[in-house]
Amino acid sequence: MWPHLRAAYNFARWLVRNNHDAEDIVQESFLKAYKAIDTFRGGDARVWMLSIVRNTAMNFLRGRKPEIAVESEPEDHTPNPERGLLDQARREQVQRAISNLAPEFREAIVLREIEDLSYKEIASVLNIPIGTVMSRLSRARPAAR
Amino acid sequence: MTCGEAEPLLNARLDNELDMASSSNVDHHLSECQACSVQYMALQNLHDEIIAAELAYKPDPALERKLAGQFLTPEKKSPSSFWVLAGAAACVVVSILAFSMLRTTSETDATGSEILDNHLRALEPSHLVDVPSSDQHTVKPWFQGKTSFSPPVPDLTANDFILIGGRLEVIHQQPTAAIVYKRRQHVMSSAFTFLLPAARMRNPDSATWAAIICFIGCKAA
Repeated sequence: MWPHLRAAYNFARWLVRNNHDAEDIVQESFLKAYKAIDTFRGGDARVWMLSIVRNTAMNFLRGRKPEIAVESEPEDHTPNPERGLLDQARREQVQRAISNLAPEFREAIVLREIEDLSYKEIASVLNIPIGTVMSRLSRARPAAR
Repeated sequence: MTCGEAEPLLNARLDNELDMASSSNVDHHLSECQACSVQYMALQNLHDEIIAAELAYKPDPALERKLAGQFLTPEKKSPSSFWVLAGAAACVVVSILAFSMLRTTSETDATGSEILDNHLRALEPSHLVDVPSSDQHTVKPWFQGKTSFSPPVPDLTANDFILIGGRLEVIHQQPTAAIVYKRRQHVMSSAFTFLLPAARMRNPDSATWAAIICFIGCKAA
């Protein structure tokens, strides 16, 4: 399994909101990462990879017409006993709420709550100060309820 | 602590980003303040719900194959020796990359698990190295007659990698060299192969080596 593939794909998927584009972005990001490997001087490879994914996704989104190909989730009503104790309806609600967040809030929430990055790591991926990370989260969370 | 002081810290408290003193001050305030307490619990609930919802998307297995296809191009003009690159961060996660430039992509999974088995066996104390030495001039010639090629044993001390020794591995019935380094708390066995363009394959400098190893599997201690 390629290390960081899962995290790269998950992040890309939340950023561009459909599978096809997310896959393209992941491929492009891995290619960029290997070409730029000389610039990686150790530290957290996952954080490095995610910042490449973000840049790639942002470039992609800038070039794309708005509101194309936002994939709505296929309705999955099969009860999954292994899944956490969250009922399906509420799960879809939370998923939609995060998906509908403005990009700068969505990416902060995804990195914090789904990828479990620290504020410092999030600041690194998003290339913003830690204070901005904090303020974005404090505004994103009420909006995601 | 007042509400005005506590309120901006609630998110950081939830995310365990506060130092102990601030944390304890916030907790104390929450125990005395209904309004802030309600607000905090709302944040906590949302956090718990997001985790319970398991919203991480998983990549399609086909994506992995696509990536393998992108990077595994048979190297026609390079020397006859190829190595398989496996990096494992012993403390955190065992992540295996197996690339053999001679193999088709369908065999990389089997290669990967073979490498993993070898690496896990090697982590048992007696199996880590066959030739224990921090001297590359001892480790490198040891493989003569055992492997069909002479493995690179780069000196990575400048990047904090200490050579522990070498180990003979068998992958796809072919003897392969695994060179073992230790970096801080992490022990890594790396049988090398390259995803770098052929030109860089000749002579990667030690910083590039270290970068490859780190990229594959190490996290800064």
